[in-house]
Amino acid sequence: MLRIYQRLWQVNWAEQWQYRANLVMYLLFWLVSPVVYLAVWTTIARTQGTVSGLTPNDFVTYYMTLLIIDQFTSEITIHIFAYKITDGTLAGELIRPMHPMLTNTLVNNVAFKTLTLMALLPIWGVLWLLFQPNFSAVTWQGILLAIPAVIIGFAISFLLGAALVCVAFWTTRVWALVEFYSALAALFSGQFVPLQLMPGVVQQVARYLPFQFYKYFPIELVLGGLSPQQIVTGYAMGIFWLVVALFLFLWAWRNGLKQFSAVGA
Amino acid sequence: MTLPHDDAILVENLTKTYQVSEREGGFAAAVRSFFKRKYRDVHAVQQVGFHIQPGEVVGFLGPNGAGKTTTLKMLSGLLHPSQGTARVLGFTPWELKPEYLRSMTLVMGQRSRLSWDIPAADSFLLNQAIYRIPDNDYKQTLAELDDLLELEPIMRKPVRNLSLGERMKVELAAGLLHRPRVLFLDEPTIGLDITAQARIRGFLQEYNRRTGATILLTSHYMADVTALCERVIIIHEGRLKYDGGLSELSHRIAPFKLIGVAISDTAAYDLGKYGTPVTNAEDADKSYIQVQAADVTSVTARLLADLPIHDISISDPPIEEVIELAFHG
Repeated sequence: MLRIYQRLWQVNWAEQWQYRANLVMYLLFWLVSPVVYLAVWTTIARTQGTVSGLTPNDFVTYYMTLLIIDQFTSEITIHIFAYKITDGTLAGELIRPMHPMLTNTLVNNVAFKTLTLMALLPIWGVLWLLFQPNFSAVTWQGILLAIPAVIIGFAISFLLGAALVCVAFWTTRVWALVEFYSALAALFSGQFVPLQLMPGVVQQVARYLPFQFYKYFPIELVLGGLSPQQIVTGYAMGIFWLVVALFLFLWAWRNGLKQFSAVGA
Repeated sequence: MTLPHDDAILVENLTKTYQVSEREGGFAAAVRSFFKRKYRDVHAVQQVGFHIQPGEVVGFLGPNGAGKTTTLKMLSGLLHPSQGTARVLGFTPWELKPEYLRSMTLVMGQRSRLSWDIPAADSFLLNQAIYRIPDNDYKQTLAELDDLLELEPIMRKPVRNLSLGERMKVELAAGLLHRPRVLFLDEPTIGLDITAQARIRGFLQEYNRRTGATILLTSHYMADVTALCERVIIIHEGRLKYDGGLSELSHRIAPFKLIGVAISDTAAYDLGKYGTPVTNAEDADKSYIQVQAADVTSVTARLLADLPIHDISISDPPIEEVIELAFHG
């Protein structure tokens, strides 16, 4: 089994390098929104002193941490898998004795993210010089506490993304749904603003949704912004959603395959 | 596990019905279909049944849209049937059991299963891991495949840079590295030139002889079928029409030959009185008639005597049309 992942890694890694231009585009797309929010919020905080108690440095450290965490927790399954269902290329992968999603697609995600992370680091360095963040609140304990959260966050986003892609088995127009999902995720994950700036209701709702695991929860763990009780309930919610996402994916996959018509294959 | 005398492939009452949404052209119809979809059932495969013994090479024939590929997809496990059963090597294909997937292969001439961005050699190594092929077996099989298909010069180039014939070779090799006991081949020689077709054919024969693998193949080229298969199964409009020896089938179709004639002014002559006029899409320059094999000589003589012919040809009807003619209705 390990050998499969090792060989898949070699193949996917080699393939990713073939698409360097594509990679740069994705990276820019990824960078634009956090960097814009970073610039906007620090400017506002600077003119007002604070925004709801958050200082300009709070915003800088939040978004700079977000840029890194996002690399770990995000997934690109929809971009690499939906077309395989709609145009039937999935057929070739289905009849190999390995799970197309949990092996090839997973490794493909990881290979892609490793490359984008490598490309992100110098940009991150430039942002550091520009915004001079003060990361003194970050502790080793905070980072250690965040590692499992990042792993759970990626697992949830990967499985939910994979389940969502399975919708393509029923309809070729899966993209509209994905757009909606991305919008929800952006709102409730803390992408637009740190969740504590959201209206009370939104914060309440976000606490019960899986999306805070993509960004807000691990970021706040790194930055040491959560109380012990918040950490415990946060993790409990994360594990709950991990299980839900797993079953959701397995259900969608099994039933989706029955619909698969291997068009054109 | 199956016993030696069991069928390698057993198909009973296999049926696949697709639901296809359809609508009239135009804006109003588009709006209507948004709210209320009309569905039409397409009966791709209807109650097909056959048995294939281990080691048999069977040609699976039928015109376009007959249900050949749908059947192959069900037998390889890609599609769930609407009804009926199939057992291949004792497995139900669409359960996609890894054990089953490791003992069969599906090679589609129209579709690449290899990654285009990397050399085939890398995909082979990946397949070795996926199919859990021990190192020694892998080396031995690859050496054999290299011997039969001359892979060495082409397997280190990215697949996208290979010619069609070269690509087909590496596709076949990739599909056979795990030494499958059952091969489903959908148009394995499509688009290849005569030499490449002959090579692939020779290879399949040799592979079958060496490994005793069961092969079910579809092809548009009658030469593939005559070279490889003693038995053919024909389906038409989703239904089984013929299952038996190739020689008996040619008896049923041998009575026909096609005579093609090139005349300057076709409209001026009535070819109908020499035989049944037919169209031949592959050669629009000639007019074709179909005649009984026994009458070919006399009809040809009459044609040459009566008409200002500047070119004439006599050929077997294309397999697609033979099947269409022999089994229509």
